[in-house]
Amino acid sequence: MATATAIGARPGGQRAEGFSLGPFLLVPASLLVVAFLAAPLLVLFRYSFNRYSPREFMVDAFTLENYARFFTDAYFIGVLATTVQVAAVCTLVSLLFAYPLAYLMARTESRWKSALVIAVVFPLMVGNVVRAAGWMAVLGNEGIVNHLMLSIGLISRPVRLMYTPFAVYVGIIAVVLPYMILTLQSVIEGIGREVEEAAANLGAGPMTTFRRVLLPLSLPGVIAGGTLVFILCMNAYATPVLLGGPQFKMMAPALYDQFTRTTNWPFGAALAFILMTSTLLLTIVGTTVLSRRMHHRKLEAAPR
Amino acid sequence: MTRPTIGRRALLGASAGLLAAPAIVRAQSGGRVVVGTWGGDYQDLLTANIADPLMKPQGIEVLYDVSVAPPRKTKLLAERMTRRGTYDVACLSDIDMFEMAQQNLFDPPTPDLVPNMNNVIEALRKPYALPHIYSGKVILYNPDRMDKPTSYNDLWDPKLRGRVGLADGLYMQFIESAALINGGSPSNFEPAKPKLLELKRLEAKVYPSNEALAAALNSGEVWATIMWLARGFMWKKAGIPITHAVPKEGATPIVFDKAVPRNAPNKANGWKWMQAMLEPSAQGGFAERMGYVPTVTNAPLPEALAKEISFTPEEQANFVKIDYQYVADNNARLLDWWTREFKG
Repeated sequence: MATATAIGARPGGQRAEGFSLGPFLLVPASLLVVAFLAAPLLVLFRYSFNRYSPREFMVDAFTLENYARFFTDAYFIGVLATTVQVAAVCTLVSLLFAYPLAYLMARTESRWKSALVIAVVFPLMVGNVVRAAGWMAVLGNEGIVNHLMLSIGLISRPVRLMYTPFAVYVGIIAVVLPYMILTLQSVIEGIGREVEEAAANLGAGPMTTFRRVLLPLSLPGVIAGGTLVFILCMNAYATPVLLGGPQFKMMAPALYDQFTRTTNWPFGAALAFILMTSTLLLTIVGTTVLSRRMHHRKLEAAPR
Repeated sequence: MTRPTIGRRALLGASAGLLAAPAIVRAQSGGRVVVGTWGGDYQDLLTANIADPLMKPQGIEVLYDVSVAPPRKTKLLAERMTRRGTYDVACLSDIDMFEMAQQNLFDPPTPDLVPNMNNVIEALRKPYALPHIYSGKVILYNPDRMDKPTSYNDLWDPKLRGRVGLADGLYMQFIESAALINGGSPSNFEPAKPKLLELKRLEAKVYPSNEALAAALNSGEVWATIMWLARGFMWKKAGIPITHAVPKEGATPIVFDKAVPRNAPNKANGWKWMQAMLEPSAQGGFAERMGYVPTVTNAPLPEALAKEISFTPEEQANFVKIDYQYVADNNARLLDWWTREFKG
């Protein structure tokens, strides 16, 4: 505290008048973002108002027909609905799976803790495509799961697991789980063990402690992890393509198809912006609802 | 201890030398050529049959930009306004090449630039590109499980319920086949739609890639498909229990073309590559390993191999003539239909 005051009270108030390098340090990063993210986004946004023609490829125009086509077409609304559903289910399931593990990792004092962290981080070192290939070996008709079920007589012929929504859910949850675990773990680590002990002292059972103490206090982690994972799920590309098969359509593969297979850039660009906007809106709504709840709990818990 | 010092002049001289070095090397050699191509076997064969024996002796360094076709098309389109593009040579299938040529992306080949183009099979010539290798669309089937089909229509036999497999990437080929047996023509694929929905009711299976389809044929999950003869040849060599039948509707040729973009950075070397790829010595290698037939008249194949992968003169006369303009104009619409109605 004393040091802070000393710095703050530097003579002459030079900080206010003098030249400060601070804001300029942001220039390189900002330029990078503008050049490689904002500018292409703007170009793409402009494209989304152009018109597609099979012979001329992309015709300069200013029309809303690409957006209109999306919102008047049950097929594409269905694709968006599937995407939101997959993202919501995967976020919830990964939260349920991740919480106990994150808690264990946060609270353990075992010497294996770092090994546990590495084990959780390890899948992130392998690309999504490689992991999907692994799931193919597990879920295929000749895969490990079918082989096991056949050998113990549970089924008489292979069950189709690959190229089903189930395979996509499994694949995506496996991809996003580490993000959820690590986010939750860091937040739970910040919650003192003594608050749980205090709750127990006051007669709360483990469930009550979790519901009334641990969960509300870890809500910022739930929000952060949920947001991160939800965004990742909404934009999933490799997993739905490789595990969902040709019949299963989510937004990212659908818009990629528009760019590459039909060379319809204007409609592809419109799809990209619809995906981005809906992800943003849903994320804002989700975090607002949860933060309100958190705020509400805080007021409830405050001494009256 | 004294440190070795580098003087200002020495530093300047060294830097200038370093900067100029690549240019000097390039000037001494024949420069480079950037080929946009598929990877895997195809790229290996390009190296073994064209790059190493024919380009290297000219001092030309060959660089590959490897991807599947859609990103290559996207890159060609994205770069069409730029002065210097990525590719000196772009490889695409005939249908994709036509679609790109509509945008006026390529320089037309001439016999002055590519003397070997005089040997190209007449039927495969086009003004904007040169054909590299070709094959034809046929029926592949498992002879242990079913009789030899004679027409695409035989795949609609209820006895084959659930046993016909389709590769998603070949949607246009399935649409064409279905059109031909339902009163359509190369310039009218509309009749394919009801016919394909019939196949859907017969539980035909769509696989996301050729490899997934091959695995299904190998395991006996499906017994028949429509595919390039060349790929059938490779699958057969790999031990997949299939053989091929040329349908009476005629085989549809698939030509792998190459073109030199207008904005190629090393255009002269692009044309040298085109000349090399049409050399008889370069053409044979693709036949043996990939099952694709030479596109030039002066590269005969060994008889046994020719029997497996090439088409008889009668079959060649019966080839379906693709209406590229119709396909290009309707690709987006038909893919849309395929995605929603057939696969959905």
